[in-house]
Amino acid sequence: MPDNWAFVLAAYGLAVVVLVMYWRFLVRREHELEDAGIVRQQLRQGSRDPAA
Amino acid sequence: MLTFARRAFIVVWKDLLVERRSKETLNALFFFGLLLLFVFQFALGPDRERLGATLPGLLWLGFILTGLLGLARTFVAERENDCWEGLVLAPGDKSAIYVGKLAGNLLLMLVIETILLLLFAFFFNLDLAGVLPGLAVVIALGTVALAAVGTLFAAMTAQVRARELLFPVLLLPVEAPLLLATVKATEAVLLGETLGSVAHWLKLLAAADVVYVAVGVLTFDFVLEA
Amino acid sequence: MRRLLGFLTVLGLAAGLVMGFGVAPREATQGNVQRIMYLHVPSVWVAYLAFVVVLVASIVYLVRRSETADRLAHASAEVGVLFTGLTIATGSIWGKPTWGTWWTWDARLTSVSILFVMYLGYLLLRGMIEDRERGARFAAVLGIVTAFNIPLVHFSVLWWRTLHQPPSLMAPGPAPVPGIIKAALYVNFVAFTLLYGYFLTRRVRVLRLEAEAEA
Repeated sequence: MPDNWAFVLAAYGLAVVVLVMYWRFLVRREHELEDAGIVRQQLRQGSRDPAA
Repeated sequence: MLTFARRAFIVVWKDLLVERRSKETLNALFFFGLLLLFVFQFALGPDRERLGATLPGLLWLGFILTGLLGLARTFVAERENDCWEGLVLAPGDKSAIYVGKLAGNLLLMLVIETILLLLFAFFFNLDLAGVLPGLAVVIALGTVALAAVGTLFAAMTAQVRARELLFPVLLLPVEAPLLLATVKATEAVLLGETLGSVAHWLKLLAAADVVYVAVGVLTFDFVLEA
Repeated sequence: MRRLLGFLTVLGLAAGLVMGFGVAPREATQGNVQRIMYLHVPSVWVAYLAFVVVLVASIVYLVRRSETADRLAHASAEVGVLFTGLTIATGSIWGKPTWGTWWTWDARLTSVSILFVMYLGYLLLRGMIEDRERGARFAAVLGIVTAFNIPLVHFSVLWWRTLHQPPSLMAPGPAPVPGIIKAALYVNFVAFTLLYGYFLTRRVRVLRLEAEAEA
């Protein structure tokens, strides 16, 4: 029975690529939202302090 | 309990009256079914043997495609005439509305399916004499589940932007196992076998019927919330 | 807490790879191509787990109106679709050298494909309803309907494939699975479950941040 390592590599490679891509999407989105949250907080504090 | 039944009945009665006056849904679906028959014939060619072999599948394909059109329109009257709020603000158990709409849809589907079946028998020269009772059972079991889920999904997609796309996309995967069951059972019945030989398929359909009607009744209040 | 989960996940995945390639032997009839099963089978188990979580979270949401339950359902459906897609892809890649064809309507691939489309529809519904509260409600109802469809799909497809076809050389026979292969499968299953949990917590957090951004 031939071993077909190419297929094994393809399957594991695909899995790694997809899972890593999803992980990166999650991490990036979380950082975006956190930064946006910090900016919003600063704006709110800025608008509360008219002397700024 | 009695008010529930009365409310459900009022919904069916209203829909039947509207339909009786305009007949638009029934006529349109009838013509659609007829056209489907032509389309099937053209797509599969004149080979009678091949047509005969695929007949159960084509029959149910016809039922489902017509069902997709007919069921999607369940709440179109309420939506187009600004009556949606009327549904949402209706007092009491909204599941009565679901049961009423389901009954109406069942009636509609069974009428259309009967007509389609007769058309099939005519065009493909089927001898329905001995198999009619068995067929009736399979069709009834299959249609209840289709109508139950279709009515629920119709309410959910009524207000969505791309409802014509979303409704079939949601309904077809749920319909898939039921399609497997009904086609297999219809195949057996048309070949002259007993209902007992396909008992497992019939039990699956019956289970689906019970489950989907129950889920519809229990969750409809959540769908029609203000 | 999440760091711990992340660390355990990486550990689990590493262990899974070791088991799958180092410890597990070359399979007798299929050769090394069988090692794809260490991806394919745990993927489908995790997918089913994800969709059960969707069912439970959906019911909890309808009863308690808990925002967390709603986010859990949404996240779990998304991760579930991810693993379902992976199941289909790995199954297909395994099928080509084994059965000679990229696609076949065998019981598992067929069931999983229906599952894939069902929950893709769930995500589609969520994306198409602008009102957040209504979207959550409708998705919960859909989550319940689709969950009930899973056993129906499983049995109908199984009977469809097995009750009328004579067993062929292509169908994997009911041979007993060697213990060491089972062990490798279980290790990978644990690893994938950890990965699912990790993705889930991250995704729920992103959903919560998104909700706060809109507030």
